[in-house]
Amino acid sequence: MEKFKVTFYPDNKTIEVEKGKTILSAAISAGVCVNSGCGGDGVCGRCKVILKKGKVLMQPTGLLSREEKDRGVYLACLSAIQSDLEVEIPSESRVDFEKLGAKTEIEEIELAMPSSEEEKFKFFPLTYKLYLELCPPDLDDKISDLERVYREIKRIQEGVVLRTSIANIRDLGELLRSSDWKITVTLTKINIEAEIILIEPGNTLDKNFGLCFDIGTTTISGQLVNLTSGKILGAKAVYNKQASFGSDIIARILYARKPEGLLQLHRAVTEEMNAMIQELTCQHGIDLNDITCVLCAGNTTMIHLLLRIDPAYIRKEPYVPVANFLPVSRAVEAGIKINPHGILFCSPGVASYVGGDVTSGILFCGLNHKKDLSILIDIGTNGEIILGDKEFLIACAASAGPAFEGSGLACGMRAGKGAIQKVKIEPGSLEVKYETIGDAAPRGICGSGYIDLIAQMLECGILDKDGSIKDIKNKRIREVERKREFTVVFKEDSLALSDIIITDLDIDNLKRAKAAIYSAASVLVRHMNLDFTKIETIFIAGGFGTAIDIDSAVKIGLLPDLDRKRFVFIGNSSLAGAYKMILSREAREKADQIACGVTYFELSVEPGYMDEYMAALFFPHTDLTKFPSVGLA
Amino acid sequence: MTVLEKWTGKVNTVTIGATKAQGGGRSSVIKVGGEESLPFLFQEGAIANKPVIAYEIWDIAPVDWPRELIEPYGDVLNDSLEWAQKCVREYKAEMLCVRLQGAHPDFGNKSAEEEAEFISRLLKTVEVPLIIVGSQDDDKDNLVLPACCEVSRGERCLIGSASTDNYKTLAVSALADGHNIIAESPIDINIAKQLNILISDMGLGLDRIVMNPTIGALGYGLEYAYSIMERGRLAALSGDKAVASPFICFVAQETWKTKEARVTQQEFPSWGSESERGIIWEIVTATALLQAGADILVMRHPKAIEKIDKYIDELMDSG
Repeated sequence: MEKFKVTFYPDNKTIEVEKGKTILSAAISAGVCVNSGCGGDGVCGRCKVILKKGKVLMQPTGLLSREEKDRGVYLACLSAIQSDLEVEIPSESRVDFEKLGAKTEIEEIELAMPSSEEEKFKFFPLTYKLYLELCPPDLDDKISDLERVYREIKRIQEGVVLRTSIANIRDLGELLRSSDWKITVTLTKINIEAEIILIEPGNTLDKNFGLCFDIGTTTISGQLVNLTSGKILGAKAVYNKQASFGSDIIARILYARKPEGLLQLHRAVTEEMNAMIQELTCQHGIDLNDITCVLCAGNTTMIHLLLRIDPAYIRKEPYVPVANFLPVSRAVEAGIKINPHGILFCSPGVASYVGGDVTSGILFCGLNHKKDLSILIDIGTNGEIILGDKEFLIACAASAGPAFEGSGLACGMRAGKGAIQKVKIEPGSLEVKYETIGDAAPRGICGSGYIDLIAQMLECGILDKDGSIKDIKNKRIREVERKREFTVVFKEDSLALSDIIITDLDIDNLKRAKAAIYSAASVLVRHMNLDFTKIETIFIAGGFGTAIDIDSAVKIGLLPDLDRKRFVFIGNSSLAGAYKMILSREAREKADQIACGVTYFELSVEPGYMDEYMAALFFPHTDLTKFPSVGLA
Repeated sequence: MTVLEKWTGKVNTVTIGATKAQGGGRSSVIKVGGEESLPFLFQEGAIANKPVIAYEIWDIAPVDWPRELIEPYGDVLNDSLEWAQKCVREYKAEMLCVRLQGAHPDFGNKSAEEEAEFISRLLKTVEVPLIIVGSQDDDKDNLVLPACCEVSRGERCLIGSASTDNYKTLAVSALADGHNIIAESPIDINIAKQLNILISDMGLGLDRIVMNPTIGALGYGLEYAYSIMERGRLAALSGDKAVASPFICFVAQETWKTKEARVTQQEFPSWGSESERGIIWEIVTATALLQAGADILVMRHPKAIEKIDKYIDELMDSG
């Protein structure tokens, strides 16, 4: 097969690929990020590239204008390589995290610390260490080395059934003798059985660490936990690099079916996790070998991809995943680089579109043991709603898109340092006051910032109820190609390379996202013959940093119009639940029970959902009687 | 035993046309809407105004009308003013709906000035209230319709159509020149309501909006349109003012593009004579829409109109 060299600018990366491969696949192999909403099906038109030199064969497409064709613009996914190429990737085709420059890096995040009454679980980390001082063998006590270790453990933990792997005992004889019979064993307990996963010389009790992850469609968050003290040492977040294979779950599942697709998706997530682990361990001076446990909570598709399980049937009727309860395995099997004997746990899922992240969230906010009715609304790319109390739990999922995670918007960013998270607009003059995370110079707008911004724009009469920016004479409002934009921060006052703006298109994206979430919640509540007023507590979860203004969220119609005191913001509940699980075997077992006990409600076959969604595509809602506090102003 | 529903709401009344005393030049004024019950259920509430039929005429000779539709009008189709006159004098039309098809870039691309001139001559030629609808090219309509609104200032016409993507220009013109507006939505009651709210937010009152819910002809989604109209009307009667606008249904436009209305007996012998089939299609579609709550029916064939006219009278008499 003939091979050609393809060079990508401005990355200046060159790769050799076979003739006939698409530019998109070459870009992915070269590690160059190109936007691809549809995962290379040629339908989203977001992977536009400019051909500087060379020849390609492009399948016909209506997604390029004549003017673009004249400029040498091609769709990367439809263009088969026919010669050596030089390709430029224009800024609008770079994946969001690339476009946002500094934000490509793993970022430290601050987590919300809710103070709701929660179920307390017994401290019993998933991997724990025991320091053993063994009596050396003599002629009266001749049991084998391994049995000696077992005997000592059983003396401390009565009734435990022990096992280990051959790899652990190959050098055991030498290890015991050279360490003067003083060793530390690392164990993990599964049901009544405990497995020795590691035997180390001397006392290493203070060196036992674990990692919890929330693997989202758009964002991966992780935290490093000291498993001896239970302290969180650090937390980080990064955009999920799988985004270059498609922005939503369905596009990723489709991509997984392509040759090497599953492997590429799997690598994208593990590389990101490993990089995060590296940074966290370096930062806190911890040896990778002292990390003995990883716990992942993620939506069902993300967990499939992490474990390199083909997720194809998740998107086909009747929407069945390969597994909801994943077996405990070695982290290395999933490509996660910690201690080679380290263990990987996955939070158990409920169904194809309600995954282990939801179970983890329920566990965290204790929905399952509350006397009064509560609802958990997790605002993510795949929004999940769980309604219930100690007697029942029912969940549904709605595809909301990544808007509230700051992705796919002109100046969106994750809730990291420098993200605008609070906004106040002066009526009349339209002067904007804002607060950023960490009080840093503004770099972009995060989900909670957008919620505030839209609420304020509505209040000041800048927006129509359908979300289009009005034609008002003000230096902050301008029209570009028949679409208007509103400047939140002028270039001079920000760290961004251009003005921080919100566009008609952004508002449309956010409107769709909020409509998907609100309508899913309202259909679920109605399905149970209830209405929102019967719900005592509304837990709001999502990657919003430390806060979200509930009043603004109601004003834009994202959340139901109820007494604001009933709302509890719990931040990234999936990660918070994962933290509980890694520190308590009891919590992890509880998660299994929760996952078994949730009824899944399939919205896609619910005839009323589409209608509810259309009604919610308005600010705050087409039915204003549902939002009495917002008024008709 | 008859169970009677008690309705708390009422459909808005929209007044079309203005007499000389009212600052216009019409010989009559037509009120639509105002229902206090579902269609023709007189026991449950008053039906203040009877549904009205508007004859559809064009500013150019029709481009896609089948022979059966051309026949009754004949040569006047080539002169829109004569055509209008024939409808009023011969067929006793109470209202006309003029479609400015000739403004469309593909059908003559008439300028805003030409169309405005045409409308002002039309207003002098006939004295019935007017509905004016654009060419369905948003950009062009945004130039043409404001000009037409201006020359007909004070005549209280019904101007259309506004959609969620394109309502501001038309709403501003209608507001400035004292007209009513048609708010068009794609068979979706939520969008219909949203558009009503958006237009009324601009200052044009709900008593000046007529909704075009978008319909399909018999066999082409009529039942879908029916259920959307029914839902809208139920909401209106239950007190939701934002959807309580009268309905306008473009019956003929949908009917006469169906295969059933157009093909000849030669092509489909078992379907019977085409001389009656299209008319029947228009009648049946209109009948169903009346039952769904239509307030204005825009129709074409004089024979179909005659039948529906009679049918409306009979229904109104039943109360």
